[in-house]
Amino acid sequence: MLKFAPYLLKTLWRHRARTMLTVSGSAVALFVFCFVGSVQHGLDSLTSQSESTLIVFQANKFCPATSHLPQDYDQIISKIDGVRDIVPIQVFTNNCRASLDVVVFYGVPAAKVRTIRDFTLVEGSWSEFENSQDAGIVGETVARRRNLKLGTKFSVGDVKVTVAGIFKSSNKSEEDYVYTHLDFLQRTPGMDLVGTVTQHEVILDSSVDPNAIARKIDDRFRGGPVETDTRTKGVFQASSLADLVELIELSHYLGYACVGLMTMLISTTTFMAVQDRIKEHAVLQTLGFSGYLVFGLVLAESVLISVGGGVVGTGLAMLTLAGSGLSVGAEAVTIAFTPSVKLAMASLTGSLAVGIAAGLFPSIAAAQSNIVDGLRQA
Amino acid sequence: MLIEIRNLTKTFQKGDEIITPLRNVDLDIDEREFVSLMGPSGTGKSTLLNQIAGIDKPTSGTITVNGTEVTRLSRTRLAKWRAANVGYIFQTHNLIPVLTAYENVELPLLLLPFSRAERQRRVQIALEAVELLDRASHYPRQLSGGQEQRVGIARAIVTDPTIVVADEPTGDLDSTTSALILELLQRLNSQLGTTLLMVTHDTDAAMVAGRQLRLDDGRLIADSATRLTEKKDESRSA
Repeated sequence: MLKFAPYLLKTLWRHRARTMLTVSGSAVALFVFCFVGSVQHGLDSLTSQSESTLIVFQANKFCPATSHLPQDYDQIISKIDGVRDIVPIQVFTNNCRASLDVVVFYGVPAAKVRTIRDFTLVEGSWSEFENSQDAGIVGETVARRRNLKLGTKFSVGDVKVTVAGIFKSSNKSEEDYVYTHLDFLQRTPGMDLVGTVTQHEVILDSSVDPNAIARKIDDRFRGGPVETDTRTKGVFQASSLADLVELIELSHYLGYACVGLMTMLISTTTFMAVQDRIKEHAVLQTLGFSGYLVFGLVLAESVLISVGGGVVGTGLAMLTLAGSGLSVGAEAVTIAFTPSVKLAMASLTGSLAVGIAAGLFPSIAAAQSNIVDGLRQA
Repeated sequence: MLIEIRNLTKTFQKGDEIITPLRNVDLDIDEREFVSLMGPSGTGKSTLLNQIAGIDKPTSGTITVNGTEVTRLSRTRLAKWRAANVGYIFQTHNLIPVLTAYENVELPLLLLPFSRAERQRRVQIALEAVELLDRASHYPRQLSGGQEQRVGIARAIVTDPTIVVADEPTGDLDSTTSALILELLQRLNSQLGTTLLMVTHDTDAAMVAGRQLRLDDGRLIADSATRLTEKKDESRSA
């Protein structure tokens, strides 16, 4: 087939305006597909998080600003069989509603951050963070979006933090958060939250049933000073993002619709190319090209256009996603628009499949055309 | 005998009408012959040519070329057979517009198991034979009608086929260029020994061939070589 590459490429170049427009259309479709896919990927990585971590929240509360659990609940919960560790967390967010620009502060006992999170500091030092009361470590995405550098003092509302480190995480949504000292966040002027926390994060032994432990925790505090609502971290995050999840599910179909449109676009272009060249294909068959070879040549044209659009669209989407650090959040849980090799491969494989699907019928039509009738075409 | 045609009939339906462009044609063509096929429009000249070239199938009858009964070959085998055995010269040249003269001539060679160097050698010889080696890198739009037809001839002979068929090769050309093309075809036949079958309307063009056939209403009615098979059959039966 490589022997026919010059013919193939020159044929595509013959109608370059049409080819470029189709490639551009495919690129736009796959750009949108990748964007939608990145949100879905971000959501999946949030909701499929380890089942062995529980979030204890105040019952019947939704926004972190309204959940106030006694901090000393950690002493009681830590005694439950199957609980390996517990971390009290104060959450502060600038916006509880769904937003594209959410800044979330997690106040955690400084020494615990390293043990409960899989962070790598790309700038700054752990000791500087642990030894300075108003220090915060900032996720790479937030730092890029807000142009935060090491040593920068910044404030959101009444929270004023000095950047002591910038981290990256295997979980991209974590890079949308700022981690500070727990007591620092509790003492934020105007909040007076000493002794209370927004939630407790409970890390379980791997052998235990997380739902059973969750029920045990909620039963323990039922009728107590503050009732709790305990769920696995994945379920907790999914319910925090419930409204967004519906929107994301809907946008999922938008991604598939783009792929469908792309198939129609490439199929139309390939059909037009075949109709323009009925005589040329008849000449090729007269020279000895078999129907299978003509089929292969037309299919290759369709695949080249589709994959060309796929490479451009996927490449642009990956660059944009990696460079922009976009995220959407609600109730202090954020979904990072996560570019990944897996998503890029899915998009490129999709473009290959679209090329084959779109080229199938035009290729069959070209291969089965009658040679004598074709030669009679003007 | 290189080509043996027996009892060849072709019918097809056009609307409500059944058309029979070829009726029980019998014909033999020897190796190295240059045969012209004449007759009024619609008498089946091109249909017969297309049957021999293997781009159309008869309704009944057989065509045997060099021992191969081409009428029995499947569509795919027929394509392979065409690539190796048939050179086709079109009236309207039918060069691929996006390919250079060199690439157009090379195209049929891509279907055969030749190395790149061998392809290059054969294309050069074919372009030299039609005196267009200096136009190898030109695109069809950069060539005159006569030059295009010469590239078409080079494309037809480049694989050294068993037969070359030409469907009104001078039909689109002025008289001076037509004479040059006919001279070229005659030279290919006499010097290279190419077996040629040419359909033409032009009596002068037909006379260039060593043997003239005349078709009327789908029947072979005259053969200058007095080898008209129908007449032979009649005399045999008498």
